[in-house]
Amino acid sequence: MKRLGMTNFSIRYPWVVLGLVLAITVFFGMQFPKVHFDNDPENMLSKDEFVRVFHHETKQKFGLYDFVIVGIVNEKNPDGIFNVETLRHVDTLTQQLLSLRPGSDGLPQVASDKAQTDWQTLDLSPKGGFQRIMGKVFGHDPNRLFDEEGNSAIIGRELISPSVVDNIKQADQGSLKMEYLMEHVPQTREQALVIRDDAMNNPLYKGTLVSEDAKAICIYIPITEKTYSYNVATLVRELTRDWNNGDKIYIAGLPVAEDTFGVEMLVQMAISAPMAMLILFLLMYFFFRRVSLILAPLLLAVVTVVWTMGLLIGLGFDVHIMSSMIPIFIMPITVCNSIHVLSEFFDSYRIYHNKAETLRHVVKELFMPMLFATTTTIAGFASLATTPIPPVRVFGLHVAFGVAVGWLLTMTFVPAFIQLFISEKSLQRLPTSDQQSDEHANGLLPRFLKRVGEFTYSHSRSVVWTTVAILAISVYGISLINVNDNPVKWFTKNHELRIADRVLNNHFGGTYTAYLTLAPEGGGTTTFDEAAFEKKMEQAKAEDKKNIQPWEELSDTINYLDDPALQSLETFRAALPGAPAELFRGLENLSGEDLRDAALDFCDQKTQTSAVEKLLAQKTELTAPVFKRPDVLRWVGRLQAHLLEQGKVGKTSSAVDAIKKASYELNYVKGSQDNDRFFSIPDSAAACGQVYMQLEGMKKKDTLFHLVTRDFQEANIWVQLTSGDNQDMESVVASVDQFVKNNPPPVPLKVRWAGLTYLNVVWQNKMVTGMLYGSLASSYLVVFIMMVFLFRSGLFGVLAMLPLTVTITFIYGLIGWVGKDYDMPVAILSAMTLGLSVDFAIHFLERGREMYKSSKDWKEANARMFREPAKAISRNAIVIALGFLPLLFAPLVPYRTVGFFLAMIMLTSWLATLLILPALVRLLEKRLFK
Amino acid sequence: MKKRIIASLIIATAATVRAELSADEIVSKANQASYYAGKDGSAHVVMKLSDGRSRELTILRKNDDNGVDQKFYVYFKGPADVRKMAYLVHKHPGKNDDRWLFLPALNLVKRIAPGDKRTSFVGSDFLYEDVSGRGLDEDTHELVETTDTQYVVKCVPKDPGSVEFGSYKVWIDKDTFIPRKAEYLDKNGKLYRVVESTKIKTIQGIPTVVESIAKNLKSGSSTTNTFDQIKYGIGLKDRIFTERFLRRPPREVTR
Repeated sequence: MKRLGMTNFSIRYPWVVLGLVLAITVFFGMQFPKVHFDNDPENMLSKDEFVRVFHHETKQKFGLYDFVIVGIVNEKNPDGIFNVETLRHVDTLTQQLLSLRPGSDGLPQVASDKAQTDWQTLDLSPKGGFQRIMGKVFGHDPNRLFDEEGNSAIIGRELISPSVVDNIKQADQGSLKMEYLMEHVPQTREQALVIRDDAMNNPLYKGTLVSEDAKAICIYIPITEKTYSYNVATLVRELTRDWNNGDKIYIAGLPVAEDTFGVEMLVQMAISAPMAMLILFLLMYFFFRRVSLILAPLLLAVVTVVWTMGLLIGLGFDVHIMSSMIPIFIMPITVCNSIHVLSEFFDSYRIYHNKAETLRHVVKELFMPMLFATTTTIAGFASLATTPIPPVRVFGLHVAFGVAVGWLLTMTFVPAFIQLFISEKSLQRLPTSDQQSDEHANGLLPRFLKRVGEFTYSHSRSVVWTTVAILAISVYGISLINVNDNPVKWFTKNHELRIADRVLNNHFGGTYTAYLTLAPEGGGTTTFDEAAFEKKMEQAKAEDKKNIQPWEELSDTINYLDDPALQSLETFRAALPGAPAELFRGLENLSGEDLRDAALDFCDQKTQTSAVEKLLAQKTELTAPVFKRPDVLRWVGRLQAHLLEQGKVGKTSSAVDAIKKASYELNYVKGSQDNDRFFSIPDSAAACGQVYMQLEGMKKKDTLFHLVTRDFQEANIWVQLTSGDNQDMESVVASVDQFVKNNPPPVPLKVRWAGLTYLNVVWQNKMVTGMLYGSLASSYLVVFIMMVFLFRSGLFGVLAMLPLTVTITFIYGLIGWVGKDYDMPVAILSAMTLGLSVDFAIHFLERGREMYKSSKDWKEANARMFREPAKAISRNAIVIALGFLPLLFAPLVPYRTVGFFLAMIMLTSWLATLLILPALVRLLEKRLFK
Repeated sequence: MKKRIIASLIIATAATVRAELSADEIVSKANQASYYAGKDGSAHVVMKLSDGRSRELTILRKNDDNGVDQKFYVYFKGPADVRKMAYLVHKHPGKNDDRWLFLPALNLVKRIAPGDKRTSFVGSDFLYEDVSGRGLDEDTHELVETTDTQYVVKCVPKDPGSVEFGSYKVWIDKDTFIPRKAEYLDKNGKLYRVVESTKIKTIQGIPTVVESIAKNLKSGSSTTNTFDQIKYGIGLKDRIFTERFLRRPPREVTR
């Protein structure tokens, strides 16, 4: 028989099969050292994806970097963080971060003083032996803080900390002071409070650098690459370890969350996968009581994982968050197949008392259901290749490969293994048929299954109606599903990153950054009629020559008059022959410089009306770049105000804030009632340009150009959200769209988003829609067609699809009802559900049909079904559901989700298969078995 | 004219006895040559930033009679929006400078409090200190090399906490004492900033820098200054360098 070909070969030449398997395993195992890890969720989008390209363009255009955010909170001191000691801490940390350099041994070195004389060498390697080993295994070097040329991962000149950010403030004699916010570390409480007031008075710092309640301060550490963020966070923790005055350190920001997830994910993998293996082993031991027997499926699982991961690495793919889950998906599926084989082998050995014969029988019996169960699973995972997310495609195809390998090995490796390592003798000692039937009658599981079988026969209608009711409730639940994700929420509630997230977002405008960029449609080139202007200019010049020039010449002469000419009005008049009489009016009692000033003031009034100047000023206004125009800047200000009202946005910063603050300080007059009026956008483009020029000459050059491009044609609003949830980001995006629609800007503007928070929205949306409408729907259809083909009956096909339909509907309904967010792991698991839950149905229906053939009566077939076949299905369900329970205790939420889901999928599809299918078969008996 | 010939003779004589010059003397002469030439002077400057923007200004300078203090008037001619903007500086080496600012579009004169001199000059890669000179007493000087044509002096700040650099080296021409290049090393000894005098021209007998470049190697930006219409000894009046002349630019800058 053809389907036995492979197995026969394995039974005959077990050593060949084993040797082959070993050789291939060694080959794939040799790929492992080439492994390269990739923790960056950004890679969920393909490199040429528009938003991703735009995100990088924006970062480049505005000189933006990914930040590690270090929050320092002091709840103890009545002045909050604005006390001498905390500020000294902040300054020391800043100097240390700025000075970071590699020592001769490659270990990081920092200096605590500004002059950089006091160096200290650090070793950031974890203290625990286990973490050290993990680091070695995954090639993670905690001291990696430099590039190949020894440059620091921290971009010092872009660091944001009170010690190195500009402030503009009033100083003695109405003068304006531009210095760092904390130019000097305060020595007294008064000095510390001055720093507090300066910070609170600067809209660019209040709510970003310092919290409005004065209890927290944030240092933003820009890094050259996101992959440094975990190590930078470790560095900060090490540097702040001895702070003991009540200052608490919280580290936040998406880059840290993402990088930390990557690091912890690998550790998690290294713990979870073996743990799952161990539990699988114990459970199987419990069911089969033969270590040598259950070694086969376990080895098979390991070999499959090695082949699959070896293929992945060998093909040059990075191990990504997604692909790190491959082993966890492959193991239950492959083990599932082997359990069917083992169950059947056990039961049949009693009949044949010969390994080879038993194996042939088993394979003959199980070949078709297993083939179809496997192909449907492959179809489910391979359908992921249709999603627009590269790592998901890689994931889907590799799992599909693994499942195929698992099937192949079940057909070849398992028989070969049994042939070689399990003696007939040990099998002879298996319980006899009598004992078996005793056990069958009295065991907990058999007794339970028997009752279930009877129940489905007697209460078939109520089973069906209950199912319908559950389906209805579930469908409603699905409508409640919340599509939402946030990488920070991938950590459990008590993870330090989650705590930091809560604390800092409570104190500040938000640690989630998005960039709202504004650019004029068509590049902002204004059409200005030069020819017409020149013509007007000529007229103006002629006009000025008549009206203005004489006065200009006159004031020039007055400027250069020597002292004797200023003795009195008489000497003055005499020195200016031909000057118009009106000049001298009212100057009678003046002399010296007063006389000169008064005369010049009069000249000034006359020259103010210069037509040339007026024209030039007009031209300046008309040709001004977009973000020097007061009307546009005011519109940006209104947009920012709108964002704040929206609720999810804690803080926005833009060039408008910088201009307002500078304008206020420039115009400030001590004691004037008018000062607040100047906290605004000046009235002309020229005035805005001149204020910008002051901002450019601040101590920290180029800070302004994070907010506006150097040609002032494009602007960037730094939007801080208190939540990184997709939904919140989306609502902000929608709210901006609405505002722009209702309040069109003075010039047409392209309004586009960038930033990690926004990027996550895009790929997660793609993932959800891609999964749901693309791969899930199409693979559902494919599986259905396969079922019809397998059973050669539409009705059987529909029946086979039922348990999986109920399972998916129920589980997603449950997610809707309990309010769990539909996030990345949940989306991936839909593919898993499809493959796994159809398994049981295939086995049940295929075997049921066989039984019906021999008994011709469903009542009897049903009773037999609830012996061996139901037991195999139940063992499978229990092993997998329990085997992955350790995942529930993982510190990373996606692993918990996977663990919970596997258990739920198993439980639901097991129940659905054992209750709904027999009930429906009973009701449809006549139509099914015509 | 005669005086100037004598002056250059003195410089030439000084050059012949250069072997005996100490590092401090060399730096002092270089300081004179780059910032104090003539009794007063004016120049038109085109400042080109590497990001494509440019600025056009006129600078007036007048030395005080004490030979130490100086006054500067910086007047913006372009771009259009900052036209007529002006800065006034009374420089007092060793003490705080007095600075004022005029913003015509806001009709505002504002005094600027003394602050860090190592900050960007109007957003360029030149620092305020490059334009007006660094106090001689702020560094220790060491003559590290003498070539056929140049002295190489290493300068180390006396108060390392007050500046962003660790040290800098200056290449000074032996004959003119014009500093041709300055290289700034950060505190780890890594080169990060270079200022060069790329073109020198003798104007009215005075060797004068007519093009200079400042490069920031960390940010990758640079600024080129081109000087023309350079004049020395134009008889600038002290009163031009007063607050009221900020609002009323003198003819020396508007022309």
